[in-house]
Amino acid sequence: MNKQARPVSIVMIEDDEGHGRLIEKNIRRAGVHNEIVPFVNGGDALRYLLGDDNSGEVSAGRQLLILLDLNLPDITGIDILEKLKNNVHTRRSPVVVLTTTDDAREIQRCYDLGANVYITKPVNYEDFANAIRQLGLFFAVMQVPETT
Amino acid sequence: MPISSLSFVRVTILSILIGLAALLAIVAVNLWLVRQAAVYSATVAIATGERAAIVELRNTLDDAETGQRGYLLTDGNQAYLAPYNEARRRVRENRDRLAALTKNDPAMANDVAKLIPITDAKLAELQKTIDLFSAGQREASLKLVNTDLGKRLMDEARELFATMVGRSEARIDAATQSQKDSIDALQWVTIGGALVILLVVGGSVWAVFSYTGQLEQARKEVSTLNVNLEQRVRERTADLGRANEEIQRFAYIVTHDLRAPLVNIMGFTSELETSLASIQSYIKQHIDEAAHDEVAKQAQIAVLEEVPEAVSFIRSSTRKMDGLINAILKLSREGRRALRPEWISLDTLFKTAAANLQHQIDDAGGAVNIDTRVSTLVSDRMALEQIVGNLLDNAVKYRAPDRALRIQIRAHETRGQRIIVEVEDNGRGIAARDHERVFDLFRRSGAQDTPGEGIGLAHVRSMVRNLGGEITLRSQIEQGTTMQLNLPRDLRAILATQTGAA
Repeated sequence: MNKQARPVSIVMIEDDEGHGRLIEKNIRRAGVHNEIVPFVNGGDALRYLLGDDNSGEVSAGRQLLILLDLNLPDITGIDILEKLKNNVHTRRSPVVVLTTTDDAREIQRCYDLGANVYITKPVNYEDFANAIRQLGLFFAVMQVPETT
Repeated sequence: MPISSLSFVRVTILSILIGLAALLAIVAVNLWLVRQAAVYSATVAIATGERAAIVELRNTLDDAETGQRGYLLTDGNQAYLAPYNEARRRVRENRDRLAALTKNDPAMANDVAKLIPITDAKLAELQKTIDLFSAGQREASLKLVNTDLGKRLMDEARELFATMVGRSEARIDAATQSQKDSIDALQWVTIGGALVILLVVGGSVWAVFSYTGQLEQARKEVSTLNVNLEQRVRERTADLGRANEEIQRFAYIVTHDLRAPLVNIMGFTSELETSLASIQSYIKQHIDEAAHDEVAKQAQIAVLEEVPEAVSFIRSSTRKMDGLINAILKLSREGRRALRPEWISLDTLFKTAAANLQHQIDDAGGAVNIDTRVSTLVSDRMALEQIVGNLLDNAVKYRAPDRALRIQIRAHETRGQRIIVEVEDNGRGIAARDHERVFDLFRRSGAQDTPGEGIGLAHVRSMVRNLGGEITLRSQIEQGTTMQLNLPRDLRAILATQTGAA
């Protein structure tokens, strides 16, 4: 990840804490040491990203990379994606959808809404770990814009 | 009152018989009455003839007496003798005629027999007076007249004539009355018969109309039922489709939800192994120190043997579970896949499927025989290829080791726009108790000597059902198995009803 003055924060929205922990571990193994901010539900994540007033001003000037699971207990990941991509402050932040669903319509929908990457969680753990490590490597070379 | 076809036939036949009987009765009575009328007419004719003869005889007798009186009164005027003689001759003639007419009638014959001596006597008396008068014995002649013998005879004859005429007239009256009666009877019988025929015809017409009405009603009901039935079938199909969809959605959700914790278990097992590896290397470095320390020794055993064993069990179990969940996922995904109906040549499809397995079939020394009597059908190619491939795969996999593999693929049409596809092998067969079970998920039959998860046939059945078909099997253990697919000729029609009813 770019080693510029403002460090990139990875916002991880994943309701399964185990998954979250495994994702974190494997990203770290890829040599990514950025701050990871985990959320286990959509509501808290949206409050963090858009602020209590939903304006998104809290994110102004942040460098964010969002890891988003679609299956959340309170709000669907699709809704979160839509809100983030429609907000002037967060719309440029890359969103990586990382979910179990491989439904073609769902994938299409996410890209239509502006998702940057869609990754289906591999079924078995080895593949899963491998995929996350590669994602970490990808993060390491990726440019993340500063939000305005 | 509903009329059954049997009772309708009975009623109709009965009506026809009754009508026929009435007609026959009318004809018979008519014939009889005509005969009677002839008899009565004959009787009347005879009686009239008799009467005329009697009256004629009486008149001629009167004429004879009148001639005699005229002769005597005119003192022998010969002009009166001629009518007398003429009458006298005719009296005999008429008497003979009457005797001839009445010879078959005892009462009349009896009277005629009585009449003969009287008329003879009367004629004799007349002749005698005339003879006496002619001989000049006028006094004797008149005296003879005055004896009243002639008058007495004449009175007797008149009385007999009256009796006979009365009898004849009575006969004529009786015959006429009988004839009138029989004409009346004929009229009544005809009217009665006509009424019966009218009733029967009316009844028959009513029966025909009411039966036809009921038939029409029944036909309407049947067609209504048919429509309802079709509607119900559509509803049921839609229900089934929905249920199937629901199960697949359920399976999809369940598998996803099950998989999430499983990934955790597998992931953290991996983490555990990684951590264990570092502990193990540490323990190995300090292995000598542990030799004398009991606690260290136990820790060494735990880290080097027990924990790795436990971890490996966790791993193998989760891997197995992962396999099972993936199988369910595969099934549900197959069910969710949108079907693409297209024209498929069954023969080509079979040949391709056989060619894909040619290597294994050759290894088993086997042969595939394809007999396709249906050129094309409209279905989902991918699903059909998988189904046939899977069935062939099973035929090869579960062949009998002691005989050369023979696979027979057949396809033919059947009623209701359906197509039957059969894949028959001479393999080890499936025990009767497992005929249904083999289609269940994770269930297998027979010796578990070949690798497999018990997914294939469950998957096949799921796909066949998605194609609007059904799969059944016939099998004899140690003889072979025939898998039979019953597929719609046109998948589009099935999909149309499903979406149409949903």
